[in-house]
Amino acid sequence: MSDRETPWDLTDQILHFPEGLPGFPHLVRFVVAELVEDGAFQELRSVEDPETAMIVCVPWLFFPDYAPVVADEDQQDLGLETAEDAVVFVPVTVDGEARQVTLNLLGPFVVNGRTRRGRQLVLADSDYPVRAPIELPSF
Amino acid sequence: MLVLSRREGESIVIGNDIVITVVEVKGGQVRVGIKAPRDVQVHREEIFEQVRRQNMAAVASADEARAAVSRRPDTRRSDPR
Repeated sequence: MSDRETPWDLTDQILHFPEGLPGFPHLVRFVVAELVEDGAFQELRSVEDPETAMIVCVPWLFFPDYAPVVADEDQQDLGLETAEDAVVFVPVTVDGEARQVTLNLLGPFVVNGRTRRGRQLVLADSDYPVRAPIELPSF
Repeated sequence: MLVLSRREGESIVIGNDIVITVVEVKGGQVRVGIKAPRDVQVHREEIFEQVRRQNMAAVASADEARAAVSRRPDTRRSDPR
C-alpha cells in the first residue's frame, strides 16, 4: 500500500483509534488540525485529554520511497478496501541534545479516510527507523 | 509475575480466547505461537516499546516540533500589515 495521493482531507475531523496508541492506550479519539499552508504537517490532538498532542506529517514528502506494509488483518479491521481508502501519516519528534527533527517510520498511523477509523501500526518486520532525521528548509 | 514451566507443544490459556503455545525450544531460543482475537494487538515487546517511547517523546516535544515546522516559509507572514 504505497498510494500517496488520497482524496481525503481529515482536517478538523475526529479520528477513532479504538485500541488507543502505544503509551496512550486510554486515548481513542483525536482531532486533526492543519498547521501550515502547504498541509505537510498537522497536529493530532486527543479529544479525551486536550493537553496531549503530537505533530504528524505525511512521510512521502521526506521519504518518497517509504512503503509501509499494511498487514491483511489491519486492512480488514480498518475496512481498507482499496489503497485510496488509506491515509498515512507519521509522528514528528524533536530528539536528543541536537534537537534533531525526526519522523517515526516504524510506527505510522493508518486511517480509513471513509470511516475515519485508524490504528498506529508497529512495523516489526521492517527495517524502518523509529527516528529518521529530516531537514526542514530554513529561511 | 506468574511463572510456568511448559514443554514443546504445550500451551497456556489467558482469559477465554488467548492461547500461547511453545512451538519449539532450540539453542536458547523459544518459538512461541499466539492465538488471540483480532482486536488484541500482539507485538514483540522491544519493538512495541520503541514506538511507545517515541510516542511519549513526540508528545513531550510537540511544542518544539510545532515551532520547528512553523519556521517553514510562509508567504503570509512576510506580508506587511
